[in-house]
Amino acid sequence: MGYVGNIMSTMTTIFEGMAVTFSHFFRTPYTIQYPDRMPVRIQDTLPYRYRGFLEVDLEICTGCLACERACPIDCIYIEARKDKETKQMILERFDIDLAKCMYCGLCSEPCPTGSIHHTREFEGADFSLESMVRRYVKVPVPAYKPKKAGEDDPAIVPILERGMRYVNEFATADSPGSKVVTPEEVDA
Amino acid sequence: MSVEVEFAEGGEAFGTEEMTLNMGPQHPSTHGVLRFIVKADGEVMRAAVPDIGYLHRSLEKIAEKVGWHGFMPYTDRVDYVAAMTTNQAWAMAGEALGGIVVPRRGEYCRIIACELGRICSHLLAVGAMGMDIGAITPFTHAIRERELINDLLEELCGSRLTFNYMRIGGVAWDLPPGYATKVRRFLDHFEPIVDEFDDLLSHNKIYVERLANVAVVTREMAIAYNLVGPNLRASGVPYDLRKNRPYSVYSDFEFDVPVGQGFHGTVGDCWDRYAVRIEEMRQSARILRQAVEGLPEGPVIAKVPRNFKPAAGEFHSRVETARGDQSWYVVSDGSEYPYRVHIRTGSFSAMSIVDALARGLMIADLIAVIASFDIVAPEVDR
Amino acid sequence: MQAFLDSIAAGMEGVPHWLVYAVGMIAFGAIVVFGFILPVAGVTSWVERRVWARIQSRIGPNRVGPGGFLQWLADGLKNLLKEDVIPDAVDQPLFRLAPYVVVAGFVGAFVALPFAGSLIIADLNIGILYVTAVTSLVVVGILMAGWSSNNKWSMLGGIRSATQIICYEIPVGLSIFPVVLLSGTLSMQGIIASQGWAPQQWHMFHSPFLFAAFLMFFVGALAEGNRTPFDLPEAESELVAGFATEYSGMRSLLFFLAEWGNLYVIGALVTTLFMGGWQVPAFTGNTLVLTAAQFGTFFLKAYLWVFVAMWIRATLPRVRIDQLMSLCWKYMVPIGLVNLLGTAVMMVLVPEGSDVVRWVMLALALFVLLKFGLRVRYHLRRANYGRMGLGAARA
Repeated sequence: MGYVGNIMSTMTTIFEGMAVTFSHFFRTPYTIQYPDRMPVRIQDTLPYRYRGFLEVDLEICTGCLACERACPIDCIYIEARKDKETKQMILERFDIDLAKCMYCGLCSEPCPTGSIHHTREFEGADFSLESMVRRYVKVPVPAYKPKKAGEDDPAIVPILERGMRYVNEFATADSPGSKVVTPEEVDA
Repeated sequence: MSVEVEFAEGGEAFGTEEMTLNMGPQHPSTHGVLRFIVKADGEVMRAAVPDIGYLHRSLEKIAEKVGWHGFMPYTDRVDYVAAMTTNQAWAMAGEALGGIVVPRRGEYCRIIACELGRICSHLLAVGAMGMDIGAITPFTHAIRERELINDLLEELCGSRLTFNYMRIGGVAWDLPPGYATKVRRFLDHFEPIVDEFDDLLSHNKIYVERLANVAVVTREMAIAYNLVGPNLRASGVPYDLRKNRPYSVYSDFEFDVPVGQGFHGTVGDCWDRYAVRIEEMRQSARILRQAVEGLPEGPVIAKVPRNFKPAAGEFHSRVETARGDQSWYVVSDGSEYPYRVHIRTGSFSAMSIVDALARGLMIADLIAVIASFDIVAPEVDR
Repeated sequence: MQAFLDSIAAGMEGVPHWLVYAVGMIAFGAIVVFGFILPVAGVTSWVERRVWARIQSRIGPNRVGPGGFLQWLADGLKNLLKEDVIPDAVDQPLFRLAPYVVVAGFVGAFVALPFAGSLIIADLNIGILYVTAVTSLVVVGILMAGWSSNNKWSMLGGIRSATQIICYEIPVGLSIFPVVLLSGTLSMQGIIASQGWAPQQWHMFHSPFLFAAFLMFFVGALAEGNRTPFDLPEAESELVAGFATEYSGMRSLLFFLAEWGNLYVIGALVTTLFMGGWQVPAFTGNTLVLTAAQFGTFFLKAYLWVFVAMWIRATLPRVRIDQLMSLCWKYMVPIGLVNLLGTAVMMVLVPEGSDVVRWVMLALALFVLLKFGLRVRYHLRRANYGRMGLGAARA
């Protein structure tokens, strides 16, 4: 590249670059002005599968401890004992340490009823670390026993439906056609 | 190294000596906590010794404690810039040891996720490189595009950075309805943006002057120092695991492997490493289009017991991540916890070559060199 | 201004003239500094952040005041209230003095800037030479800052900056010479008077030599102001803030203030030397309105160049120090000498200046602007193709 060639290429490439940046003045900025200048709540813009804070619906928790075993970081503490007379599992303690949780989703996958699930909440910053431990059992409650003929208690049916919808999002080896759609169906 | 100079009259002597500078673990560069001890003679460096370990989290040891399924979220943290491909490496190791075959649709989902992750990572790499050289705008444009990919991946698996999308045996979630269309719309939007990047930054004379003929890595040197990925391909070695040792279903797809041409300087200089990444983004977009067109039906995950106990043995799984060939050497003793996991990453070898290249370069070049090798601290230190 | 102070002194007997002068100067200086220079520097920081933000597809500061207009005031107040951290190991007198030397260097240039026909603090007959000399004071300040910080990185930044500024004085000076040749005077008002208000009468379009001189002056002035693409002394990714690393609070803000204010000085100088200054066609006999129009024209023209400097900073990467030197010595100095020679030859051959050449130069410049606009449209079209529908929360 000769002397003049250097000067010409400098000017042309700078011209090109400045044209690109100038064109950005006429484009809309991508900024979302969270949290105050937004048309909807930010949580409603998050997708369904978003892995925010964990929540437990104790009404449908079966006390199987699958979530505690699956957690790789041991942030779930469950104390459940079998009551000798009624032969029911009594849940005495269900603590999730949200400061330790790494929001991986491994606990909600094996849950049979979808009682432990991720919500779309993520705004939980606080001044104390102790407030990050969510204690879901206020008084010891019996665990849920799934009924073979389907749930009939009207108080529990909506909770169970919501939980099962969450759990059914996870793919399993036996769900070949349930949510699988071909590209043609997707575009329709 | 000290040079004594004596003045003729007055008899005053002053010596010049090297400065030892510390480009400390805290510095405003987006490559993470890296530390270099630079010995410089004015602006020209004599040595740039790396000091690593500031981000060491003993992930390899943690694998022995949390078990096969539980380690999957930790693999995201090995390279948090492009987390999907590390997920795949671990899943492949578990599948090989356990004798599990991933269904075809699951492989396609993996590839879609991995290629989106590759584009993410390269965007960050070229954007950060531009910013280190001084061009602040391409970085924000790259992050803006990355946000769009993050939105896509958030819809797929719920998280924007640490995905934990794959499981041993397949993937955890199937593609949500309408996803193929969204990916296609994103690609239609994205491909002109790569061209815009080229117009804004790649051929800019100042940028080219900063990068061309700087830190030329010859073919032999690249192979000797164990460079992988775009760093290796920029030096003229056309080695890409997706083509040379195809894993998953990469052999189904048609794509090119960009190799450094020395377009603006010599083959293997910093500009080539940058250009290879830009071209790889285009090729990833190509793979993505083919993947969403040809999605097969079927399940996305094979049946894997919750109490996964693979056969005793060892396996060496290799994936082509954004930073190159990431090799995972996994030893299993038949129990539900792996016996030993060793991760060999591309950034680690790239750190070792920086010192050899830095002799004779200026301090401003050191930044360009580190950026061009796309060194991320979590990969170096694990 | 001297006439004004004389009239005051005549009205007060028993007060020595020098006292009136001294008080007048201090008062006037304070008015100019606090009433014009600091607000301009502050507003420039707001404009810079908003301009960069739009280029980078984001919104800049928009909360403090309407459109974020008072952000600079908030930043200034915050910095004044901050703890004044002075590291123990620094060279105390130099460390404390350095920001003030830098600010003095750039504020001193305002004395000779012609804001309107009658609004100039001192129409020195060595106007442009004085401005060039005074702005060199920042070199001393930067070296003081870099050296006294007791920090190898700061020292590197200070030395780089000093080298850069001193070297680029030469192309800047060389590109002022053709203008001085044409105007026949160093005085700022004289240089403006030798141009007209219409674009083809500006010095910029007088001949290709002067156009090249204008480009060189702008690039050299950017280098003097430590602006990208020559901001190696403050390269963020290497030196944090270069020579200003150890400074915190108001002291560091003074350095930035000097940089932003310097942008305005650059714009003002380009306007004065090459763009006809404050001249407007005499459309009214009312001096107040005319002066206001002249002031507005000057301000807008100067701010155009401030905007261009910010736009360049957002676009271009940094030049390395040895490339900077080679650019100066191998490209800009020879071209500057050629410009000087060419202008002198032209003045001998065509003493009154050639109208044809002026109109041709103006037409060429407009043509380049048109090509630029078309290129911008091309980029807009290409990027809007297949625009992805973003989520519900996005506009």
